[in-house]
Amino acid sequence: MELLQFSVRKLIAGVPLVIGVTLISFLLMVYFGPDKTFDLLGKNPTAEQIAEVREQLGYNKPFLVRYGEYVRELVTFNFGASESTGEPVTSLLARTIPVSVALALPGFILGNLLGVALGLLAAYYRGGLADKFIMGSAAIGMSISFLIVIIAFQIIFSSSFGLNLFPVRGWDVNSIGDYVSYVTVPTLATVFVALGYNTRFYRSVIVEEMSRDHVRTARAFGVPPAPLFYKLILKNALIPIITRIMFSIPVIIISGSLLLEQYFGIPGVGKATYDAIVTGDQPVLKAVVALTAILLVIVQLLTDILYRAVDPRVSLK
Amino acid sequence: MNAQPPASDTIAAPPERRESLWTKAAYKFRRDRVGVWSLAVVLVYMAIALGVVFGWWATSWAELEGGKWEPPSAEHWFGTNIIGQDIFDRAIYSTRTSFEVGLVVAILATALGAVLGALAGFFSGSWTDEIILWFMGVLDSIPFILFVAAIAYSLGDTPYAMHVAMISTFWITAGRLVRGEVIKLRGQEYVEAAHAIGVPELTIIFRHVLPNTSHILLVQATITFVAAIKSEVILSFLGIGVKDGMSWGLMIAESTQEVLAGFFNNFLAASVLLFGLVMAFNLFSDALQDALDPRTVAES
Repeated sequence: MELLQFSVRKLIAGVPLVIGVTLISFLLMVYFGPDKTFDLLGKNPTAEQIAEVREQLGYNKPFLVRYGEYVRELVTFNFGASESTGEPVTSLLARTIPVSVALALPGFILGNLLGVALGLLAAYYRGGLADKFIMGSAAIGMSISFLIVIIAFQIIFSSSFGLNLFPVRGWDVNSIGDYVSYVTVPTLATVFVALGYNTRFYRSVIVEEMSRDHVRTARAFGVPPAPLFYKLILKNALIPIITRIMFSIPVIIISGSLLLEQYFGIPGVGKATYDAIVTGDQPVLKAVVALTAILLVIVQLLTDILYRAVDPRVSLK
Repeated sequence: MNAQPPASDTIAAPPERRESLWTKAAYKFRRDRVGVWSLAVVLVYMAIALGVVFGWWATSWAELEGGKWEPPSAEHWFGTNIIGQDIFDRAIYSTRTSFEVGLVVAILATALGAVLGALAGFFSGSWTDEIILWFMGVLDSIPFILFVAAIAYSLGDTPYAMHVAMISTFWITAGRLVRGEVIKLRGQEYVEAAHAIGVPELTIIFRHVLPNTSHILLVQATITFVAAIKSEVILSFLGIGVKDGMSWGLMIAESTQEVLAGFFNNFLAASVLLFGLVMAFNLFSDALQDALDPRTVAES
């Protein structure tokens, strides 16, 4: 019951955020955005034709009415059809989101697991050679642009100048084998780029926990490394870790990896968004922005509930 | 923790003047070899960029000077690109673009974050704070590339849409940090004393409280600089960044047609220069952070 009350309160508190996001994106993209009148008209339109199209597009209505329509679209979850392909936005999203998730998930999981492992190793041998080597590599990894990694990995793994093992681009997935062959290079690129940041983050979290008195005492009493890590360090470090992982979720589901999808020609949300940006496809853009905001509110709620689950001292107030 | 440095060092004697955060930081920084070297590399890049601004070199980056895909030679150090432009000139010229974007965004975003963060922190709990926090949350929630596109739509054909978009999102981190610090500083005696003798609130905030967060701002500015350079490359590659002029991102975009044909000079020139600058700035930023952190002691 307490949980339900908390959730409702939290969701209501999220309303200003969603309003803010939709308002700002509406102002920038639609209200002050490009005038679409002349895209829809032929050559040499008459004054009446112009007026008619403007009426159709709703340009002569006051600001609040137009913004109200956007909010109505959001509440009823009906964003209309894409302006460039005519496909309903909801079906476009239903088609592209699974692709993005399938593309991003392996890299996300691997990147975090490896990050924890390397962070732990570096923290355990803090100040030693392993630490210096791992953190030095992380600093180098963080300095290489994602774009460069993508192109370099494509050359190395998919082109005839390198190993030529995987398809260069595209997403023609009918079986597990196809999936693996298309997802490998993007995943490697994601892991490579994320690893530096993740390792640094996990190392600092683990170092913080390891320097606490109770951990030092446990070590002095001879608690073996595995229980020391799981029971005394990881459990206490969960709050920052949960925050980091949870807030990556909207990025994975909605924006996907726009760059990755665009470069490898993978039909996920990221590519759909990019195409919408290039063609000025407002219904798609409005839907993507609004959904990201809603998802963030939900993620914030779930994060707070998870905090409570891992740390009983946190109260849901 | 703030132990005196070991007495037996021969490198530099500890400063004899009155010790402050900054003299201590300068002392620590000078002894950080990685930090000093990375700063040197950054300064070299900066000299290259200034040279471009003053027109000393790379003036013919847009001219067609040779054939298609010429290999490196004495005349064209990195060879030529697909239409015969000199890759070395283009890569050097792009240094200026990077510095321009990095400096403009880092300075303005940090300044904006400082002002809004200080206001939010000083009046925390009031409606000023609520509005600024709401604004931060909202801007944080719009996917970045979409936000850049939205700004570009509404500003029409200006080349500064990218700068505006970066400034309006990158200030948030600085703002949150300053807000937290100001909330801490607000309760100190000197603020109370200033209140008591009737110093106006805005003077207290901007003359007396905000300068005490400048070490945070300095580090944050260097982090923002790197973020801006990296974003510029990706945005230019996607076609929503640098519109006129040349940048490493545009060179990489150009090179995607070339690498599959086996010509890597363009890609390598842009990538290596970009990597060098980002790496040096990252290391410099880390060293600065360590030097300004009163909890760390200079290592000998």
